[in-house]
Amino acid sequence: MATPVLVDSTPAPATPVTLTDTNRTTRPPSEVRRSPGTFRWRLWRQYLAFLLLAGPNLALLLIFTYKPLIESFYYSTLQWNIGSPTARFVGFDNYIQFFTSSKTAQVAGNTLVFTLATVGGALVLGLGLALLLNQRIRGRSIARTVAFAPYVLSGIAVGMLWLYIFDPRYGLLGTLLSAVGITSPDWYNSSPWAMVMLIIVYLWKHLGYVALIYLAGLQGISQEVRDAAALDGAGRWRTLRSIVLPLLGPTTFFLLITTLLASLQSFDLIHAMTQGGPLGSTTTLMYQIYQESFVNGRAGYASAVATVLFIVLLVITLIQLKFVEKKVHY
Amino acid sequence: MSRSAFGKIVDMQVSRRSILQASGLGALGIALAACSGPATGEERSNNQTSDVDWSSITPAKEITWWSNHPGASKEAEEELISRFTAETGITVKLVTAGASYDEVAQRFQAASGTDSLPDLVIASDVWWFRYFLNGQIMPLDGVFEHLKADVADFNPTLYSDYEFEGQHYAAPYARSTPLFYYNKEVFAKAGLPDRGPETWAEFEEWAPKLSEHLPSDGAPLGLAIGPSWSAWWMSNIMWGRGASFSREWDVTLNTPEAIEAGEWVRSLYNEKKFASVGNDTNADFAAGYFGCLIGSTGSLAGLLEAAPFELGASFLPDGPNGPGVPTGGTGLAIPSSRTPEQQLAAAQFLAFMTNADNTAFFSKSTGYVPVRTSATTGETMTALYEEIPLYRVAIDQLERTQTQDWARVFVPSGDQILTDGIEQIVLNNTPAEEAWAAITPRLEQAFSENVEPYL
Repeated sequence: MATPVLVDSTPAPATPVTLTDTNRTTRPPSEVRRSPGTFRWRLWRQYLAFLLLAGPNLALLLIFTYKPLIESFYYSTLQWNIGSPTARFVGFDNYIQFFTSSKTAQVAGNTLVFTLATVGGALVLGLGLALLLNQRIRGRSIARTVAFAPYVLSGIAVGMLWLYIFDPRYGLLGTLLSAVGITSPDWYNSSPWAMVMLIIVYLWKHLGYVALIYLAGLQGISQEVRDAAALDGAGRWRTLRSIVLPLLGPTTFFLLITTLLASLQSFDLIHAMTQGGPLGSTTTLMYQIYQESFVNGRAGYASAVATVLFIVLLVITLIQLKFVEKKVHY
Repeated sequence: MSRSAFGKIVDMQVSRRSILQASGLGALGIALAACSGPATGEERSNNQTSDVDWSSITPAKEITWWSNHPGASKEAEEELISRFTAETGITVKLVTAGASYDEVAQRFQAASGTDSLPDLVIASDVWWFRYFLNGQIMPLDGVFEHLKADVADFNPTLYSDYEFEGQHYAAPYARSTPLFYYNKEVFAKAGLPDRGPETWAEFEEWAPKLSEHLPSDGAPLGLAIGPSWSAWWMSNIMWGRGASFSREWDVTLNTPEAIEAGEWVRSLYNEKKFASVGNDTNADFAAGYFGCLIGSTGSLAGLLEAAPFELGASFLPDGPNGPGVPTGGTGLAIPSSRTPEQQLAAAQFLAFMTNADNTAFFSKSTGYVPVRTSATTGETMTALYEEIPLYRVAIDQLERTQTQDWARVFVPSGDQILTDGIEQIVLNNTPAEEAWAAITPRLEQAFSENVEPYL
């Protein structure tokens, strides 16, 4: 920040003995307040400091977030075969096509199922894992590391690995299922199972992150509160329901937003494992943007879908901020 | 959109000044947006030129080549590069730009309009025309004439695949046809002759016998589905039954022949269960789950290496109306936006890669067909055919090939749309008439949006 500024209440010394002329403490506060030149200079210095500190970040946001956002909206009004130097302005035709296409209902349904399952699953299972890892057990540090490790792996690598695990003919999962007398479904080529496969792998990859954040939240809960609850006769379940979960509210709220946004923007696993198939049963809004743009070459239409996804994300986030945050106990 | 961006929007203290600041940022963003992207207008044309005086150009010393190394050919490509560098002093930077033709194409589209384009790029049968429509690749005729590249020696069918209005926009490189591979051990156990079925009717007679000697989760025929693949082998079924995806630009999926061909495929997978899909049908075939496989010529070398049994290969079976064999694979194209120096060096490399000796070397390494007529009778290929006669099958089958339907290879995303229809028939057991009817408007829309304005 700028150099400290004297407050108006500072009394002026009776006799200016050792202070230099440049030291403004020699001036009466009323002068500081009333001089428009000084006030403007202070304001400029504040702006300068603000620009120096926030400028680089703002520039990056402008170039890599807002510029593409605006460009994307502009492209959504074009009929543009990606790669072509020319395009045709079509107004809102792409949006009309999107909202009247029979494929949109399927894509929206896929997105809803995938998001609800991955966000809900990650929060519930992540909390369970965090409660487990919070116990005083031997090898706890190793268990925490192992649980978190999948999160830092590349999504493409995880997808390729699990493709082999799920292979119905010689995959590990098929072998395990056959050992208990169950025939492995054809995960890749049957429409409900491909989505189930994706959700399982997504949860496996992201559970460690959710558990880690919950673990930090759990460790922030004072032992005294737990002890007080115990003295009042609360059992473990009652303590969890009435003490731990409410106090984890801010953590849950944070995780709800971050996991929801991550899930809606998931791409790598879908691309590595199903490429939106079979029969479009794993095509989410995010994957449709890629397919329409780079596979079908319809960059204008893809931009319209991207704009719709952006609005969905914005609305969800604003709703969460407005309504959910009120119910969180800090 | 990042969380922090949302946070900034939500947390912003709205005041007159902040609104003005935001407006200023927005205006700047719009100004920046207007600096890039396509030009808008009704007029559309390609910007390829062929009037360069190549004799006045000095080739660049270094070029970049984007490849997916078709047929696991990375080592072969590196060998060809080192031979070229030794001969000319020009270095070639080989970039793995994707795992498939489609991935390379997507990257190429995304890089369009930037200076990150390569000097030479993979241009498959279903992608080169889209590059041409977008004005992204240059005609090769002028530069090949300057280099005396002897284009008359290219296999006429394979070279003419890249021709439009008298100009060629790519040269054949890793070219293939589908082949009918079979497991000789399983055929012997089933008491079948050591040859592929001559007709699909014969295959249907043989299939129950093959099933008896295959695992319960296997199938007589491994026939994968997916982009750049399903509509390729489906061409064989369609043509063999007198049908086609299109006649020139008219989609012909509503004809009785097209519906009958689709119904036959539907029955093959769903009712008779003579064919099946998998995660990797080549691997499943090598592992013994399938008795036969339709695979690319370019898979020959890989299958010979992977299969623990004796491999057989034959022509694609005929339909009731006769044979139907599509050509496929990829050519190589030179981006039109590179400098003439880079283009000349790339053309030199392209001519070198596809000369008689090198196309024979590449064919031997992968199984793709040699793209020059003289190479098929040259020393390398003659010796190879004697040693491994299977390599000869693809060459002989070239005589049965025909040009692909325009709906697949010339309509942008046509291949993907046809793949969607075939998936419906195969995986969802959707009646062919319904599946074809669902994709016909999409093909027609793709044509009217992305092809018709240029014609």
